[in-house]
Amino acid sequence: MPVTLIGQSVVNILLLSGVLTIVALGFSIVWGVMNIINLVHGAFIMVGAYVTYWLFVLAGVDPFLSIPISMAVLFAIGYVLQRSVINLVMRAPLLVTFLLTFGLEIIVINLALFFWKSDLRAVTTSYSGSSLSLFPDASGNGIEVPYVKLAVFVVAMVLTLLTHLVMTRTRMGRAIRATGMDKDAAQLTGVKIAQIYAVTFAIGAALAGAAGALIATSQSIQPGFGGSYTLRAFVIVVLGGLGSIPAVILGALVFAAAEVLTGLWQPGLIQAVTFGLLVIVLVVRPSGIAGKAFYQ
Amino acid sequence: MRHFVVRPLAALAVLSLVLAACGSAAESTAPTVAPGGASPAPGATSAEPCTITFGAAVSITGKTAKEGGYVKDGYELFKEEINKAGGFKVGAQQCMIDIKYYDDTSDPDTSAQLVEKLVTEDKVNLLLGPYGTNPTFSASAIAEKYEIPMIEGGGAGLKIFDRGYKYIFGTLPAAPNYLRSVLDLVIQTDPSAKNVAILAQNDGFALEVAKGAADYAAEKGLNVVYNEQYPVDTQDVSSLITAVKSQNPDIILGAGHAADSILIMKGIKDQKVNAKAYAFSVGPTSPDFRTTLGTDADYVLGIGPWTEAMKFQGGDVFGTAQNFADMMRAKYGADTYPNVPYQSASAAAALYAYQKAIEAAGSIDPKAVRDALANLDLQSFYGQIKFLDSGIIVKPQGVVQLQPDGNTYTVYPADAANGQFLYPAPAWDAR
Repeated sequence: MPVTLIGQSVVNILLLSGVLTIVALGFSIVWGVMNIINLVHGAFIMVGAYVTYWLFVLAGVDPFLSIPISMAVLFAIGYVLQRSVINLVMRAPLLVTFLLTFGLEIIVINLALFFWKSDLRAVTTSYSGSSLSLFPDASGNGIEVPYVKLAVFVVAMVLTLLTHLVMTRTRMGRAIRATGMDKDAAQLTGVKIAQIYAVTFAIGAALAGAAGALIATSQSIQPGFGGSYTLRAFVIVVLGGLGSIPAVILGALVFAAAEVLTGLWQPGLIQAVTFGLLVIVLVVRPSGIAGKAFYQ
Repeated sequence: MRHFVVRPLAALAVLSLVLAACGSAAESTAPTVAPGGASPAPGATSAEPCTITFGAAVSITGKTAKEGGYVKDGYELFKEEINKAGGFKVGAQQCMIDIKYYDDTSDPDTSAQLVEKLVTEDKVNLLLGPYGTNPTFSASAIAEKYEIPMIEGGGAGLKIFDRGYKYIFGTLPAAPNYLRSVLDLVIQTDPSAKNVAILAQNDGFALEVAKGAADYAAEKGLNVVYNEQYPVDTQDVSSLITAVKSQNPDIILGAGHAADSILIMKGIKDQKVNAKAYAFSVGPTSPDFRTTLGTDADYVLGIGPWTEAMKFQGGDVFGTAQNFADMMRAKYGADTYPNVPYQSASAAAALYAYQKAIEAAGSIDPKAVRDALANLDLQSFYGQIKFLDSGIIVKPQGVVQLQPDGNTYTVYPADAANGQFLYPAPAWDAR
């Protein structure tokens, strides 16, 4: 049994880190490039989850097929929100952007409560809950890999890779990174930073939308569920360090390992340990495990 | 360009400030009546219409928004029906009732602040409870301070009632008794079921439920092979499920609230943990449990002091348990309430207790109403309503089971049962 226990825990860590990577990715990009700690991120995740839910319930769209739609909807919301509201405070002090995004979060959640009520909802597909048994013993007990969570992991990694390619291989990506490094220099070389900020924020929102779609497949959702993901995204980004996509993956992996291993040993201490890690990293290595000063 | 980057430490400080501020911010929902609707003194003359205003801080948002909604829906249905029937009898007068709500965001401190506001600013006549043991625990201290009765149908923790308070009354059975009926049912069906695993949310109510269940299991000679707590806003329980599975339990008990009961059940299915019985303190009786889990909810046991199948009747506006459920569906829709949760019934029962106590007292003077409540003993759609000296109701728990035909049946106690207990739950591969 211990072998199964260890194997299952490794699977649990990997599967959880996949979701957490996609949860923290958009948050990290917005923070790194725009210097905004986006507290509305969790609410974007929630909206993405609801887009997936409604497409599934009303039109029978498979949750994995609705990911691009969730992303497109959130991209549009993010773009408009940045242009109309957030752009006004781009050069304001940290506290102002904090309060603004915090206020936006409350608005989004309360609109969701108004329209969708606080019912718990879930996307339950025909294949939900079936899983792959690795190394089963005589009585059929093995390491269980739920197909849905496996698919979530794969999609999360593919999206992370795509984001990496967009950021490194396209003109837009290079402009975004240049803006993150030095917005004045970028502007001098002809980058339209207002445009870049809007696109960056929209990309962050779209990734939150994807995260929401993926989360909807494996847990029940209600309008307030995003808040704890904002907090986790924050911890992951600080753990891994700002400035690169591999740092987000690393942060998510460390966070997932801390959560799963503590849960196995003493679940009552999960949050004490994960947030304890945050404090340790801030004291010992404030730039994060693999952090840099700008996005690259 | 280092100066451009937000220092994480500073950011953390600000983040915690903002979160702390958010914790205490009172996000009130719009009151259902225009403010200033304090009643003209009822019982004086019958010349002008009178209104008794109740105050309630209920969770409309936050972790227990769902259950808070059930409580509020129960209050609202009672209000509507009693006002249709002419309101409360206060001495020679008939008074309409009104309820002023605030959203306590499922937070105990906020709940206490809002109850204080209801008493001191809104000047409500009497108080109704919030949802959840912790909010009720802190809100009831305010009721005691101002010596205004509070009847609550949403908090079952004994800690609410063991402080010697005189103004708090509760219509839910005590938390430590919650899962006992489940254990009784399983061991009477299968004496070979020995190993019990308990997963509890780290919250006042859930811990009392878990401790009550663990103590009772030990008393009955069962082995508690796993008994751990998970944090309140958990989103992943996979590691707890892995640990539970390694102990091969016969009975898995969950002590928590609806969202985490669903999360645990999904985890159990994901990792194919095959127990003979699964039971949760809160969750299975709420409609969302079936709609979110689908057929994976089959065979799961839930508990409730009240189900619509129970053969209760009384002189209230509903008459019977069945009629209360039908009226809930008529008001809120059959889609919202395929099964009516007991939280709505216990909330409506709180208002019925007020109705009879005010009638007996002949006034809405808080002290007179309190004394009348302490002496109350009546039958209703919710069963017997009679409070112990501590303020908690005397009431047994029934057990319900979600069955493959899509319905929920009461399976225990035998005299209230309307379905056969299906046991053991089949292995996941065999379904």
